[in-house]
Amino acid sequence: MPRSAFLDLARPSRRHWLGYLLLAPAVLLIALIIVYPLFVSVDLSFQNVNIARLDQPRRPFTTANYERLFASEEFWNACWVTFKLVTIVSFFCFLLGLGTALLVNNRFKGQALARLLVALPWAIPEVIAVVIFAWLFDSSFGLMNWLFIRLGLVDQTINWFSSPDAAFAVVTTVMVWKGYPFVSIMMLAGLQSIPEDFYNAAKVDGARAWQRLLYITIPSLMPVIGVTLVLVMLWVFRDFSIIYVLTGGGPLKATQSLSIMTYEQAFGFFKMGYASAIGVITLIVCVIASRLMIARAPDNI
Amino acid sequence: MKRKATRHALLYVGVALTCAILVFPIYWLVVTALSEPSQLRQLPPSFWPDKPRWGVFGQIMAERPILLWLGNSALAAIGAVTISMVVSVLAGYSLSRFRVRGGQSLGLFILTAKMLPATLLVIPLFGIFRNLELIGSLWSIILAHATLIIPFTTWMLKGYFDTIPRELEQAAMVDGCSPLGALVRVILPVSAPGLAATALYGFVLSWSDYAYARTFLTNAQGNWTANLGITTMKGEYISNWSDISAASILVALPILAIYLFLERYLVGGLTAGAEK
Repeated sequence: MPRSAFLDLARPSRRHWLGYLLLAPAVLLIALIIVYPLFVSVDLSFQNVNIARLDQPRRPFTTANYERLFASEEFWNACWVTFKLVTIVSFFCFLLGLGTALLVNNRFKGQALARLLVALPWAIPEVIAVVIFAWLFDSSFGLMNWLFIRLGLVDQTINWFSSPDAAFAVVTTVMVWKGYPFVSIMMLAGLQSIPEDFYNAAKVDGARAWQRLLYITIPSLMPVIGVTLVLVMLWVFRDFSIIYVLTGGGPLKATQSLSIMTYEQAFGFFKMGYASAIGVITLIVCVIASRLMIARAPDNI
Repeated sequence: MKRKATRHALLYVGVALTCAILVFPIYWLVVTALSEPSQLRQLPPSFWPDKPRWGVFGQIMAERPILLWLGNSALAAIGAVTISMVVSVLAGYSLSRFRVRGGQSLGLFILTAKMLPATLLVIPLFGIFRNLELIGSLWSIILAHATLIIPFTTWMLKGYFDTIPRELEQAAMVDGCSPLGALVRVILPVSAPGLAATALYGFVLSWSDYAYARTFLTNAQGNWTANLGITTMKGEYISNWSDISAASILVALPILAIYLFLERYLVGGLTAGAEK
């Protein structure tokens, strides 16, 4: 056994050729399909190209794309829409996710079923979620219009997808419905890691339910909340499918987030250089956010 | 004691109400699929069709190329998951067991790659795939989906291998196994549940993609994936909501089935790599 004598896995500090060999396929593939495209993307953003043809000679270096971008009203509108979406969707995802997690964390019969059901929207593909809500909010026969009229909230049907505010509200609704189960699942995992003793001790001291929530549950969940919040915000920030299939960014660009604007510029108007510049900006935001998350991630969840 | 009973009843009502509201959109999808199109245009709406048309699923499969779309989605997912699993099993094992120069920065890079927006990568990938003449071919989305899956699976598997005691390989190697043999014959069999959960998670990622399929396959009708097909049905001039709903159910079913199976492992998958 001469070879195994070299490989002492009990001493992880040992560098070994096999370690490199095993990593090689992943490194190669990641270099080809992630790193290289990223370089191409940054490179394109500094060229005046309309269609990404890599077989043609490189156009001269220019910062025109970025100059145009920062001067464009559309870009700042997209930033504002993205900011609104990220804030509102994250807020409601947390409200709903934490609420459902606290609810099904109680002991009762059928708890397993309830846990399965509250996180069910996680298992619905985004495109299908859009189909469901596009029909619920249909302007002529949608259930929501009927419900709103029955409840006396409005006196005539709303055309959800032609009014900027209404369309934004529908996009928000779909995203919250699709996004809260993730928060719920994460919070449940966090809740289960809080030692029962904390609560027993608090009960002995006469702490009421809301005090236990405020002084034990929330502080203990803080690290998980931090990571989950960043992940949810990044998801909303990056999301393409829900908005694109539901509204296409309209009406009047009221739901055009940075992702949608990137895609429209690239594949609607074929301004690949300009679109790449927006993409690079979103990349910088994503990298900063994910670094923040990695820095504060708890050791175990 | 009476107070406790009231509290308990309140809890049940609360849970039931919450579940009902949150799951209602899915219920409504089923009701819509089973209703006659004419019934859907009646107000007040009926919350369960008088005569559920269970035949709608067979009918829609005959009228629309749903089976082709589902088959394409499955092919793409299987291709992307296979490639991803092969490279991530090896990489995850290496990251878990060896200290490799640059290993930690690679891990960090992979973690960041999980956060990349698809709308950023799709532009250079479009250019690259056009050069390789892959646009319109399922290979384009197999490779693109691998960019989504590899970061997840590598971290999930690294985490899973970390939970397996090193003594296992040690024992195998004392018995004369080579290091690679120990991985294949000892570690992989023990990790079977983790491998299955990871692969299924990758399957969900690929199955749910819309951005890449929309960009690379729109002009190749024969290679449309399920999500792409559904959106074209939605975009038609007169939307037949019952047909779209029936097709949507067929598309969502595999993922729902995986969810029921995966629920236990879900937290591991969602948080893979979130911990240091």
